[in-house]
Amino acid sequence: MPALTCFHCGEPLAGDAPLVARVGALDHPVCCIGCRAAAEWIDSLGLQDYYRLRDALPPRASAIGDYSAWDRSQLQRMYVHQRGDGDAEACFLLEGLRCSACSWLIERAMSRMPGVRETGVSVPGKRVRIVWQPQRVSLSALLGAIAQLGYVPHPLDRQSLSDVVEREQRAALKRLVVAGLGMMQAMMFAIVLYAGALEGIETSTRDFFRWIGLLVTIPVVFYSARPFFDGAWRELRAHRAGMDTPVAFAVALVFVASIVETLRGGAQVYFDSASMFVFLLLGGRYLEMRARHRATDVVDALARLQPAVAQRLGADGVLENVGVHELQIGDCVVVGDGAIVPADGELTSAQCRVDESLLSGESKALVRHCGEQLIAGSIVVDGPAQMRVVRIGADTTLSAIVRLVGRAQQQRPRWSRLGERAAGWFVSALLLATAATAGTWLVIDPSRAFAASLAVLVVACPCAFALAVPAALARSLTVLAQRGILGLTPNAIERLVRANYFVFDKTGTLSERSLELVATQALAQTPAEACLRIAVCLEAGNTHPIANALRAAALHPGTATAQNVRRIDGGGIEGEVDGERYRLGRPGFALASRTEDSDSIVLADRTGALARFEPRETLREDAAATIDELSAAGAGIEILSGDSPVRVAAIAARLGIGRFEARVSPERKLARLAELRAGGANVAVVGDGVNDAPALAGADLAVAVGGGAELAKSSADIVLAGDRLGALLEARRVARATLRIMRQNLAWSVVYNAASVPLAAVGWIPPWLAVIGMSLSSLAVIVNSLRIRAVAAPPAAPRKPAGASTLTAVPA
Amino acid sequence: MNIIFVLIPLSLVLVALAGWAFFWSVNHSQFDDLDTPALIPLSDEISSSPADAESKAQ
Repeated sequence: MPALTCFHCGEPLAGDAPLVARVGALDHPVCCIGCRAAAEWIDSLGLQDYYRLRDALPPRASAIGDYSAWDRSQLQRMYVHQRGDGDAEACFLLEGLRCSACSWLIERAMSRMPGVRETGVSVPGKRVRIVWQPQRVSLSALLGAIAQLGYVPHPLDRQSLSDVVEREQRAALKRLVVAGLGMMQAMMFAIVLYAGALEGIETSTRDFFRWIGLLVTIPVVFYSARPFFDGAWRELRAHRAGMDTPVAFAVALVFVASIVETLRGGAQVYFDSASMFVFLLLGGRYLEMRARHRATDVVDALARLQPAVAQRLGADGVLENVGVHELQIGDCVVVGDGAIVPADGELTSAQCRVDESLLSGESKALVRHCGEQLIAGSIVVDGPAQMRVVRIGADTTLSAIVRLVGRAQQQRPRWSRLGERAAGWFVSALLLATAATAGTWLVIDPSRAFAASLAVLVVACPCAFALAVPAALARSLTVLAQRGILGLTPNAIERLVRANYFVFDKTGTLSERSLELVATQALAQTPAEACLRIAVCLEAGNTHPIANALRAAALHPGTATAQNVRRIDGGGIEGEVDGERYRLGRPGFALASRTEDSDSIVLADRTGALARFEPRETLREDAAATIDELSAAGAGIEILSGDSPVRVAAIAARLGIGRFEARVSPERKLARLAELRAGGANVAVVGDGVNDAPALAGADLAVAVGGGAELAKSSADIVLAGDRLGALLEARRVARATLRIMRQNLAWSVVYNAASVPLAAVGWIPPWLAVIGMSLSSLAVIVNSLRIRAVAAPPAAPRKPAGASTLTAVPA
Repeated sequence: MNIIFVLIPLSLVLVALAGWAFFWSVNHSQFDDLDTPALIPLSDEISSSPADAESKAQ
C-alpha cells in the first residue's frame, strides 16, 4: 500500500489518525489544519476542479497570519495605487504559485470575494494584480484570502505596477507584431511588383504599388526599428561601432534608396526586404529578452523575502504595528511566532530559534542567544523574540544579497566583452568592405554598385557573431537559475569548465549538520530498545543533533517522562526515569572514566554502563553520487576540514575519498590551495560559504552550497541555492554545454560571414537573399543556444546505487 | 481592375484596425498570462461568477 499523502499539498502524512477534509462529498486525508482549511474553502467555492487540473503541488497551507497591519495608511501609500475611479490596485508576489491551475484557482477564488473588480495572474512572473473597491473590502482581507489558499502573498511596491519588465515585454511584442504585419503587407505588394516585372505592368499601377509599399513600411521603420536607430545613435555618440550601427545603417540605406527609386521611377524597390529585416531581427531580440527576463525571476524570489511590516515596542511599552521603512536603528522590535525578522538586529530576549532556510537553504532552525545577530528575512520559529535594530533598509544582509545577484546579472563576462570588441572591429571592417565594393562597382558598372554594396552590408552584418556569446550565456544563466544555481561572477561558467580539482569542506557541505544513529549496543541486561527509550525520555524537549538522532532512531517512544533532569555543561544529561537515576552523555561523563576520542554516547545507571549509542554525521543525500561522478570524470577530490580527524576520516571513507586533511586552519587551507594551483590544477573549492570564506577566496572557482547568510560577504562564484550538492554536477554539465554551444555559434558565424561577403561583393547575392541569409544565421545562433538545456540533460543511463561508491577506485 | 484602388486602401484600413485591436489587448494584459486561459474550458461550471453578476446588476 502506498504511503498516504496529504490530499492538498501531497506531503506524507504523519500519525495514525489523520485529519480529513470533505471535498466533493468524499473524505480525503490531509496533513494539517491549514491544508484542511484550504481544501474545504476551495470546495465551498465550488472549485474542486483545481485538484484535477493542477500539475504541480501547492505549498503546505499554513495557519493564516495577521494581515491587519496592511490597512495602515503609511503602508497603503507605498503599496497601493489609488485609481481615478475610486478603485485600488495592488500587485502581489505569490510564493507557491507553481502552475496554471494555481493561477486559475486564485483568479476564481478572488473573483468570488465581494468588492474585487479584476484579478490578473502571471505564472511566470509569480504575480497577481488585483483591483478592488476599498470601501467594500480591505487589503488585509484580500491578503488573508490568498493566504488561506496556501500561497504566501508579498505586496510589491507601487513601482511594480508599472513594472519595467512588463513594459519592456509589451513594447517588444508590439514592435514585433507591427513589423510582422508590415512585412506581410509589404511582401504582398512586392509580389505584384515582381510579377509585373516579369509579365509587364503599367507604370502608373507599378508606382501605385510602390507608394502603398512605402506606406506599410513607414510604421515598420519608424516604430518597430526605433530601438536600432536609438542604439546606433548611442553607439555613434560613444564613438564605438556596435551591433546596432550596421543594422540601422542597412535599414536606413534600404529605406531611403527605395524611396529615391520610387520618386524617380527606378528599377527596383526593397520595402519588403527592409521590413523583413526588421521583423527577423526583432524576433531574435524578443527571444533573447524573454530568456533574460526569466533569469531575473531569481532577484524577485529574493526580494519577496523583504518583510514589510514590523511590531515596534514603544517607549511606553506598547506594541505598535509599523511599516518596515518606518523603523530606525536602535528601535526595539518584537518578532512574533512564525514572523519574519524585519531588519538586521541583535537579539535582546534570552533565546530563540530562527529558520534561515529562505536565505541560506539551511533547513534546520538555528538557536540564537541573547546578543547574537538576527538577519532580516529569516523566520523566528519559537517567538516572540525581542530584538534591537542594527541595520535597516539597504544596509541589511538581505538587501546586499539582492544587490549581489542583480549585479551579477549585469556584469558581463570576459568572453562576452571580447566578443563585443571583436564585433566592433568586424563592423568597422564591414563598413570599409561596403565602401570598397561600392567604389569598385562604380568604376566597373555603376548600375550594379548599389545592389552589391547593399548586399555586402546586409549579408555580413555580424549579428550572428555578436549574438554567439551573449545568447549562449543568457540561456545558460536561465537554465542554471531554474535549477537553483546562481552564477554570481561573470567568469564562473568558464572557470567551472576548467576546474579539474575539487576541494570540499566537510561540515555543511558533504555532511549535514544533523546526526544519525548507526548502532545501539546494549552493554548490560537491559535490551537496546529499552535503553533507547530511556535515552529519548531524558532528552525529551532537547533539540540538539544527538537528541534528534536518538528520537529518530526510537521506533516506539515511551510514554514515561523523566524527572529531575539536570544538564551538566560539557558532559551530558542526568535524570530519573521510572524512579531510576540515569546519566547520558560522553563516556567520560556517564561513567566518570577517562575520555576517549569518539563520538559515542553512553547511557549509564548507578551500576555502570547500560548501552552505547554510535551516532554519525548524516551525509548529504546526493554527496556520494556527486563524488562518484566527479571522480569518474577524472577530477581530483580532496577534503579539507577543520573538524577532528576521526570524523573527517569517517566521512572520507564513506565517500571513497582518498585524500583528506583534518584540523586544517584557514591559513593551512590557503597554503594547500596555493600548492595545488602551483601544481597546475584548476582548483574549485566547495564550501558552505560561511566558515571557509578565505579558502573560497583563494580558489580558482568558489562554490558555496546553500549560500548562507554570509553569502553577501563571501566571494563565491557560484551558489547552489537549492542546497543540493548534486547541483554542482548539473552546473558542470550546463557549463560544458554552454562552452560547446558557444564554440559552435562562433564557428558558424565566422564561416558564414567569410563565405558570404565575397559572394555578395561580386554581386552574386541579391539584397533580398542577403537579408534572408543574415536573419537565418542569427536565428541559427539563437536556436542553437536554446539547445543548452537539452544538451546539458543528465545522462539517461541508470546511476549505480550510491552504496557502491565506497568500492570505486580512490583517485590517485 | 480599378477596383484595386478601393480594395487595397480598404485592406490597409483593416490592417490598421487589427493593429489597433492588438495594441489594445496588449495594453489590457491580454498577453501577460498565456497559460491559464487554456484551462478555463476544462472547468465544468456554467454560471458566471458572482462578481460578474453583481456588476451586471448595477
